Parts: sequence; structure tokens; C-alpha cells
Amino acid sequence: MGVIDLDGVEVRLANRTVLNNLTGELNGQAIGLLGPNGAGKSTLINTLLGFHLPSKGNARVFGLDVHRDRAQIRGVIGYMPENDSFIGNMSGVRFVRYMAELAGLPPGVALERAHEALFYVGLGEVRYRKVNTYSLGMKQLVKLAQALAHGPKLLILDEPTNGLDPVARQRMIQLIKDIRKEGSIRLLISSHLLRDIDETCDEVLILKDGRIASLCNIEEERRSNRSFMELETVGATERFSVSIRGLGCECATFPGGRIKLVIPDNIEARDLYVIASEQGVQIRRMNQRRDSLEDIFLRAMDNDQERTANGSL
Amino acid sequence: MAVYKRNYSAYTGTVTPVWTRVLVLARYAFEEAWSSKITVGLFIFCLLPCIVSLVVIYLGDNPIARALVGGRGDMLAIDAKFFLKVLQTQAWLALVMASWIAPRLITFDLADNALPILLSHPISRFGYVFGKFIALFTSLSLITWLPCLLLFVYQGYSSPQPWAISNLQIAMGLLAGSVIWIAFLSLLGLALSSWVKWRVVATGVIFAAVFVPAGVGAIVSAVLRTRWGLLLNLPVMMSNLWQRLLGAPAPMNDRLSVPTLAIAVMLSLTCLVCVAMLNKRIRAREVVRG
Repeated sequence: MGVIDLDGVEVRLANRTVLNNLTGELNGQAIGLLGPNGAGKSTLINTLLGFHLPSKGNARVFGLDVHRDRAQIRGVIGYMPENDSFIGNMSGVRFVRYMAELAGLPPGVALERAHEALFYVGLGEVRYRKVNTYSLGMKQLVKLAQALAHGPKLLILDEPTNGLDPVARQRMIQLIKDIRKEGSIRLLISSHLLRDIDETCDEVLILKDGRIASLCNIEEERRSNRSFMELETVGATERFSVSIRGLGCECATFPGGRIKLVIPDNIEARDLYVIASEQGVQIRRMNQRRDSLEDIFLRAMDNDQERTANGSL
Repeated sequence: MAVYKRNYSAYTGTVTPVWTRVLVLARYAFEEAWSSKITVGLFIFCLLPCIVSLVVIYLGDNPIARALVGGRGDMLAIDAKFFLKVLQTQAWLALVMASWIAPRLITFDLADNALPILLSHPISRFGYVFGKFIALFTSLSLITWLPCLLLFVYQGYSSPQPWAISNLQIAMGLLAGSVIWIAFLSLLGLALSSWVKWRVVATGVIFAAVFVPAGVGAIVSAVLRTRWGLLLNLPVMMSNLWQRLLGAPAPMNDRLSVPTLAIAVMLSLTCLVCVAMLNKRIRAREVVRG
């Protein structure tokens, strides 16, 4: 049983197919939901929350059907919506307490957790101010606090860094990383910013035009493409390249001490440093070619275009 | 989590039953409604007629006071007609109160787009509306059937003859008439407030929804020479209903009388329209067609 299971999910809104035959199992600790605007990210989140009924197929969260068991699912989910969504004339602490009580916490405990959640996200000093007096960054944080206060099993963050300045964005990303590190919460983070997903997630679901363009584990994907390396060395470059060939690497040397090599799976960068040290060679630069999330994303978009083109032929 | 540690920890304690979440909504809505000084002021103002009625009941049961008014003893008669006047007064004050409170309960949520967050918790759309309804119904109860029944009890207590048992229909009428009216007002207030983002405008719209159709109904009645235009006239319809529920004498002008069944159908239809309005508006996500 995955965190989220999608089985041929189709969602039609206003006579338009917004999600089309989504199938997959999402198991990551932090799952990124990527896609261009209008790809269906928010619709998928709304479907998981039980706001939209799938017209075909079904989706499950922790094994619970998103439509039939929506009350149970909502009890274990913390949701931070994309747009402004709060009760402006309530103080921050009252708002978070209200949401925690709605999620099922007894009033006293809800108040205690509201204070803690607001301190945790960094709004402790302004918790008695009305929410509509908060800045945009604070409003994002109070939404995060209300999503966390009741201790959800799955935290859904829809564009959490939307409209934040670089400092506030970095703070939000750090909070998400901390939550992920704590380990008791699974995260589903929707964003169109690759960097946000790259920094916080270990699995990514890429949507395009309501279809799955790619579903992959980011780390595994990177690992499978880590064999190319570029080195810039000073010293006995030729002798060094002979030695690393002895490790089983394919290697080519260039003027200026530059070496390009393909390393097998069992060789780590550390092994190269050891040889360099033994031979008195300085490694001035080491560039390990790894697939960035951008590469994965662009490849997924290309593949999808090819599929569409082949389909239309 | 702890305030001084500033780290996250999962919640492992007990969780309240799902059905109690409606009461959480009702409690917060009630607090929101009564957090305004204007609400408290209105409440006090709405109780003033009850205090006047209390004095009248006291005087009506006081032999010296009755002797003083002499031949105009019917001035101090405490009967169905007296309680009908009390109910009518409180009912129209309840309209004022509802038009002030109802927008506070819904428009704040709509103005700040709070519905996606609220409805992402284990609470249904029906539960959301029901919670708000309970808050409004309770607030209106404080100025309608509760003081009316207290006046009835006081009259039963202070009357020299056994009075309460023989006039039980008045008590039942007060309760039923008030409950029908405030339930209707609560639904109407919430439905109209859900469609208007500005509170002041919502207050005006609630008043207009009661009195504008009454004017239209009067025009229909006059032009078509029929009394069915009264079915758009809420004040007349409700007066008819209350008069029958309390067993008070019918009005002299027969042209102002509407069959009870027609009143019930009209109120039910209006309630259905209100439910449809709420169903359309109270959603976590709006689907834009086109």
C-alpha cells in the first residue's frame, strides 16, 4: 500500500477532462508534484481531498478511498492551499486553534498545539495579531501552521513558496526539510518551481495536460546518470590517468591537465582522491555530471510530446 | 512540539468524535456573532419590549391596577391576543438581529476564501452550514421563544386563577411560531449572506428579501384583484400563521387571510431555494465553466 495510489483516475470538470487516466503508486517521504500551469496539479490535490469526484478509476490515500472515506482521509491530512485562505478577523493563534479543533483535537490541546505550531513556523511573536494584518510570507506560514497543528500523517502543500521573497522562500524550504527529516509526516508538495521540488523531495510526479509525464525517484534517477566525470588536475596527469584506468575507468586526457572519465558503479570519487594523493596529483576541480531535476523534467516533457505526436500519426 | 524547543512532534492523543465538529463550528460562529458590541446592544434593545410586556402582565394581574384603568379593563387583558402582539414584536426584532448576525457568520469566511481550508477538515458542506445555522438559531432563540415562554410562565405564576393549563395552546403557539420563524430566518440569512461578500450589503439584502416581495405582492393583489399576492407578503403570511397557532381572534379584514396550507407551501419553497443557493455557493472549489 503506497501513500497515494492512483488507479486510472479521470476527473472531468465543466465537460473537460482535467486528469486523464492517472495510474501509479507514490511512496516517497516527500513527493513532488510538478507540471506546467494547468497540468492538473491542484485538481489532483483537490481530488485527493475529496473535493472532486473521479469520473473513472479511483484514488487512495493510505489505502482509503478518496471519495468514500474522505472524512477519514481529511482527518489525517494537513492541507496548505495555494491561494490566500484564512479567516482574516481572527488572531493567528485563534485561527490555528479553530482548525486544530475541526481536525479533532480537544479544545485545550488544540490551543496548546496552536501556540507550538506558530512558534515552530516562526510566528510566535505575532500570534495574537489578526491574520489580515500579516504580510504575504506570514500568511503562508500561518497556513502551514494550521496544516501542522493537528499532527497530520500527510501534509499537502500547494505551491508553498508562492509569492515569497528569497529569504522567506529559503525559510519555508528549510521548514519543509525539517518536517521531512522528523519523519512522521509524508509530504506532497505541488509546485511549478523545479528548485523547490529539487531541494525538498525524493520522489516526483510530473504532470502534463492532465497525464502523467513521469513518475520517478529523484535520487535513483540521478544515481543512474552519475557515471560521467570531468577532472582538472595539476601534476603527473598521465601517470594518474594510467592508474585510474587500472580501476576500470574509461579515461581520456586533454591539455591543461583535464581528464574526462566514465566510472563504473563500484568506484566512488573517494577512490580517485586516494590515488591522486598517493601520486602527488592535485585535483583542482571535479565535476560529476548528474541529472538535475530540470533534465528529468525536460525529458519528461519531450517524451510526452513524442508520445502525443506518435499518437496523432 | 514545544514552544521553547521549536521542533515538530506528531500528535498521539485522543481525537474528538466526528459529529462534534459541527458543534466546534457552531461555537466559533456563536463567539464571532457575539464578539461585536453592536450585537450585545441589539440584544438588549430586543429585550426591552419583553420588559414592557412583563410590566403589563404584572399590572394585569394586579387588582389595584385593574381598578385604576376601570372600564378599560381589556387594556390589561392577558390572553392570546396579548401574546400574539409580543410574538410579532419579538419576531420582527429577530429579523433585525438576523440581518446583523447572519452576514458575520458567512461573509468573513467567503471574503477571505476560508472555505478550502475549512472544508479540508473532516467536516462536510452540510456540517458547515448546519454549524452556522445552530449559532444563528440559538442567538435568535434568546430573543424569541425563550423570553416569550418566560413571560407565559410568569403569567401562569402570577395569575390569581389557574391560567397556564387552560391556555397551553398559547405556549405551544409561541414555541412553534417562533421556531418556524427563526429557522426560516436563519436559512434565509445564511443563504443570502453566502452570495454577498460585503456585510453591510448582505444586511440590506436580507431586509429587502422580506419587504420587496411584500410590495410586489401588494401590487399583484391590487392589479389582479386577488388575495394570492399575499403569498409574497411575508409579514402578512406570518401574522396569519401566528394568529392561528396561538388561537387568537382572526383579523376583521378577510382579504388579509391566506390558507395555512398555502403559507406552509410558500415557506417550504423559499427554504428549498435557500438550500439550493447554499449548495451552489458553499464549495471548497468553484468549477469555472467555459
